[in-house]
Amino acid sequence: MNFHASSVGATRYVGERTPRKEDARLLTGRGQFTDDIQLPGMMHIAYVRSPVARGRIVSINLDVAREMPGVQAIYTQDDLAAIPVQMLSFFFTPIESPVTLLADGRVACVGDPVCMVIAESRAQAEDAAALVELEIEEETPLVTIADAKTGALVHPDRDDNIAAEMGDADMLEEAIQPLLDKAPHVVTHTIRHQRIAQSPMECRACVASPEGSGEMTVWMGCQSPHLAARYVAHALGMPQESIRVIAKDVGGGFGLKNIPWREEVAVVVAARLFGRPLKWIEDRYEALTASSHAREQEVTLTLGLDDEGKLLAGWSDYACNNGAWPMGEDSNIAVHMFMWPAYKMPAYGFVTRGWFTNTMGLGGYRGPWAMESLIRETTLDKAARKMGLDPVEVRRKNLIYLPDQPVTSTLGIEVTDITPGECLEKLVANVDIAAFRKEQAEARKEGRYLGMGIATYIEPTGSAGQMQPMTGETVHLRIEPTGKVVAMLSTHSQGHGTATTMAQVIADRLGVAYEDISVFEGDSAIGAFGPGAAGSRQGVIAGGATWKATELLADKVKAVAAHLSNASTEAVTIEDGMVHVEGAPEMSRSLKELAEIAYGEPARLPEGMASGLEAQFRYQPPPMTMTSAAHCCVVEVDAETGFVKILRWISAEDCGTVINPGVVEGQIAGGLAQAIGQVLLEEMPYDARGNPLAATFKDYLMPTISDVPDFEYLHANTPSQTIGGMRGVGEGGAIIGPPTLVNAIADALSPFGELGGEKGEVTLPLTPARILDVIEQRDVSGHQAHAEPAPAAPVETTAAPVADTSALAAAPAAISIDGDWDMTLKAPMGGQTFLAHFETDGTALAGYLSAPEGQQDFAGGTFEDGRMKFEVKVDKPMKVTLKYDLQASADTITGKCKMGMFGTAKVTAVRPA
Amino acid sequence: MKPAPFDYVRPTSVAEACRVLDEAGGGATVIAGGQTLMPLLNLRMSQPFILVDINGIAELKGVSRADGATRVGPATRQADALKDETLAQYLPALVRALAHVGHYQTRNRGTVGGSVALGEPAAEMPATAVALGATIEIASVRGSRSVKAEEFYLGPYMTVLEPDELVTDIVYPDWPDGHVVLFREVAQRPGDFALVGMVGALALEGGTVSRAGIAWFGMGPTPVRARQAESALVGQALTAIDADAVAALAVADTAPFDDHHASAEYRRTVGKRIFARTLREALDIRSAA
Repeated sequence: MNFHASSVGATRYVGERTPRKEDARLLTGRGQFTDDIQLPGMMHIAYVRSPVARGRIVSINLDVAREMPGVQAIYTQDDLAAIPVQMLSFFFTPIESPVTLLADGRVACVGDPVCMVIAESRAQAEDAAALVELEIEEETPLVTIADAKTGALVHPDRDDNIAAEMGDADMLEEAIQPLLDKAPHVVTHTIRHQRIAQSPMECRACVASPEGSGEMTVWMGCQSPHLAARYVAHALGMPQESIRVIAKDVGGGFGLKNIPWREEVAVVVAARLFGRPLKWIEDRYEALTASSHAREQEVTLTLGLDDEGKLLAGWSDYACNNGAWPMGEDSNIAVHMFMWPAYKMPAYGFVTRGWFTNTMGLGGYRGPWAMESLIRETTLDKAARKMGLDPVEVRRKNLIYLPDQPVTSTLGIEVTDITPGECLEKLVANVDIAAFRKEQAEARKEGRYLGMGIATYIEPTGSAGQMQPMTGETVHLRIEPTGKVVAMLSTHSQGHGTATTMAQVIADRLGVAYEDISVFEGDSAIGAFGPGAAGSRQGVIAGGATWKATELLADKVKAVAAHLSNASTEAVTIEDGMVHVEGAPEMSRSLKELAEIAYGEPARLPEGMASGLEAQFRYQPPPMTMTSAAHCCVVEVDAETGFVKILRWISAEDCGTVINPGVVEGQIAGGLAQAIGQVLLEEMPYDARGNPLAATFKDYLMPTISDVPDFEYLHANTPSQTIGGMRGVGEGGAIIGPPTLVNAIADALSPFGELGGEKGEVTLPLTPARILDVIEQRDVSGHQAHAEPAPAAPVETTAAPVADTSALAAAPAAISIDGDWDMTLKAPMGGQTFLAHFETDGTALAGYLSAPEGQQDFAGGTFEDGRMKFEVKVDKPMKVTLKYDLQASADTITGKCKMGMFGTAKVTAVRPA
Repeated sequence: MKPAPFDYVRPTSVAEACRVLDEAGGGATVIAGGQTLMPLLNLRMSQPFILVDINGIAELKGVSRADGATRVGPATRQADALKDETLAQYLPALVRALAHVGHYQTRNRGTVGGSVALGEPAAEMPATAVALGATIEIASVRGSRSVKAEEFYLGPYMTVLEPDELVTDIVYPDWPDGHVVLFREVAQRPGDFALVGMVGALALEGGTVSRAGIAWFGMGPTPVRARQAESALVGQALTAIDADAVAALAVADTAPFDDHHASAEYRRTVGKRIFARTLREALDIRSAA
């Protein structure tokens, strides 16, 4: 492997394949997972879950179950309600649909937790759970997106089944369709992405131990103990300091464990009620059928191109089956923001909606917005095939290369240092495409079907400061009196190896042996707030924080050594744990000697310097750091059986400074394995009655080692603008993998026709039967017979409903809205409250909206019969015109605000108290 | 995923096992390797009152020869059977199929008899027993009986085995030296149950097929014997065999179904192809020899 950490000059540890600190523990069965926790007096929990997808709970009979051996208590929602809970999304906004910890009178999906059995052992808890008698009046469930559009309300308290929406439907007619009409070439492509079970190696787990003082220690499989503690404190209204969350080892998170969800929070609540430690270990059956699922998206993209293959315009219609209780109503709707910033796309618009159904709710999953890359890259390839162009050339014509930057996308995303084009060139230089095409042609003559797929992508990583809880990361660092180094980090690893990579940064920047560094993380009582592994951020932000904190510590070491040696700090160097003074070899001291002085003889330190050798730094990086990649995959499709064999896979990614190539490649490989699973194997189907059909790993097909090839890696290393120059790499493989593989399969099948038929409606996974559909041009899979007709694209969608004006006639004739109002905007990604000031002059309306961040004035609005219409232009964080349409009564104003592509927010305003 | 409570007995003889099964009055389940039963217990899809562990019964283990046949003790581990020299010599088709049963790790526990007796229609062992003409020997306190493998299977996971009965031997008749082995399966991942698979043997005499035994797995509610194909092959000169036509006859005997992994149409289409491909390859090798 010819790897060089070019960005950091001569390095000692950064850029090395250093063996992981975690491996000895994990590979010898000495990890400390939540199920390893045993506490005196601890009881075990099993949930009773709904066997039906939708219905009213008529009765819950616990009489028999309560008499079972070992049973201590059985709780229903009526019991847990003693402690009020407000569930929150990952963005710390309240979940709007009234999600309770256990079912409250109704069940909305199979697997909905209804009762919690507490017993002396899990087996006893399950014995009793089997004897709980549930009587549920079953109702016809809504299972598919199509059901959600036309069926009854999943949540009776809501206006419709739309969980969240973004995009501007008006834009199609106003701006995009005219461009598509004029385009010489128009290509439309649809992908239906199946539902995925997240399937971490370790299922969810929670142990909650109440303490007499009202405090609670919680062990939880999570992606950040800090975030989990903050979440539980918020949800239960407990003081933050009363909750301590510990998660030393966690076997994979992928988004499922971003936030505690109903079952984990219920364990904490039950532990408070019960007064003794409680343990819940999710089993695989629960994990597959009742842990938050992922994906299940349908998207249609229409592109207009000129004769050379340059993009002219694009429109996309996207829908997502959010299930009954998504871990945030906005799950997966923000798929379009990064669709085109890497491409020269002059005009683009979209509509995206998440729909409630009576299926298990969705959560985030590694690359939650991956669908944008999948539909974009596969549609570009389809266009290339249709127009007889080389897919690499189509990308070259449209990609934004470094000299093109900075540039701002049509949706307002500015990119300054993305390198998808550079990654593509590096990839192409290492793959002999011409030779492959020759081999492909020869093979076809023998009835062998080879295919090559290429895809590029960019990804915003290391997000900080744009929205809660994405923020900076903190590192506390010290050299102990022993000369050894201890680091306490806000990071968290579910297998990411942060203890390794951060120790490499410290060893490298400080000049000490890697073995002399101990890293502590995984406990909300140490370190500081950070959201953990979420959004490919730890290498970028915690890496930068560690980098800087180490330099601060090195500065102190140098200052002490310089003072003791009467030398300048510039003359001091630290190497292999020894502190040297230039030109005075007799003054060399070990860090241990220096630390003993710093701790034990503070009088020898420079005047005013604190004793000890400690440093701390919290790093707030730029709001986003972009990662780019280009991948190539070669497959052979067996035309007789429809099986796909992956022959070769080459990754060319640019994650800036690589701290540890082994860790980076491990992240890419893991993501690609998930990608292969999604394209070829994994699926959580539901039947028409809302039953999940893959309840064990016999039916839910995870990729195994036999299904995943040896990947080849090329590293481009364009340093980012962060401290250390790292770029995030956690999710990339899962994002770029699916389009790369789908493109390769489509290329292999091109002699037979388009993947998914002439209409190009591709349904994942590409099972052998579905591949034979293409090869034989008939319905081998039986899929067509069952599939719902896809909407023709572009789809005309109904405009968002405006404020209900039916009450107009009843409105008092003269309402005065002049003056101040407290106005609240409830948007998908969070709410906002600010001061609104209105001034009317006849039917003319003007005023301003004022928040701590600034004030926006507006004029030119109208006020007629209580109906208020006005527009406010906003520049930050992106340029958008907010169109308000409100209805005023004497003391309240309600209505909606269209926020361009950000969708529609509900607006309420009241007079200030 | 914890089993419902059960009692556990570990008899050391067939007679003792039969007595326990009898006394349990239908509430007992036999456990050998446990590779299927343990997940079923954990999922509470199987809730026996008594688990009868036959791993302590020496007479149920091992491979022996008798009367022109090979007897395989049902508690013989699949991994041991794979290494067995007698099986390699007399039952190459069985060994070939065994290599596809589960995974390397599961074969260390899983038994030949467990797979035969379970009756998973997409599994290799039941179809192999049917194809090779094996006889299942069964004991109970009521006595013992022999059932042809072909008559043993009633439906998915359903066999003629009564609740008080125990499989004591699987007896595979000899096939002539140099018989041809037919085996191919299509599974989504290595180690999965097959979407469609076929296994069999052809005996040859002077360039003509003298005996044929072929069965499908994953092509119906039970292993399906390809009877029409067998008839078409027997008596045919190798050079006169039309592999595609025989494959079409073979598929005609099947009754595959749709599930979310593959459609019946896929199973039929691909089944015909792998049957023809396998037959052609086998015959090509013979013709060339």
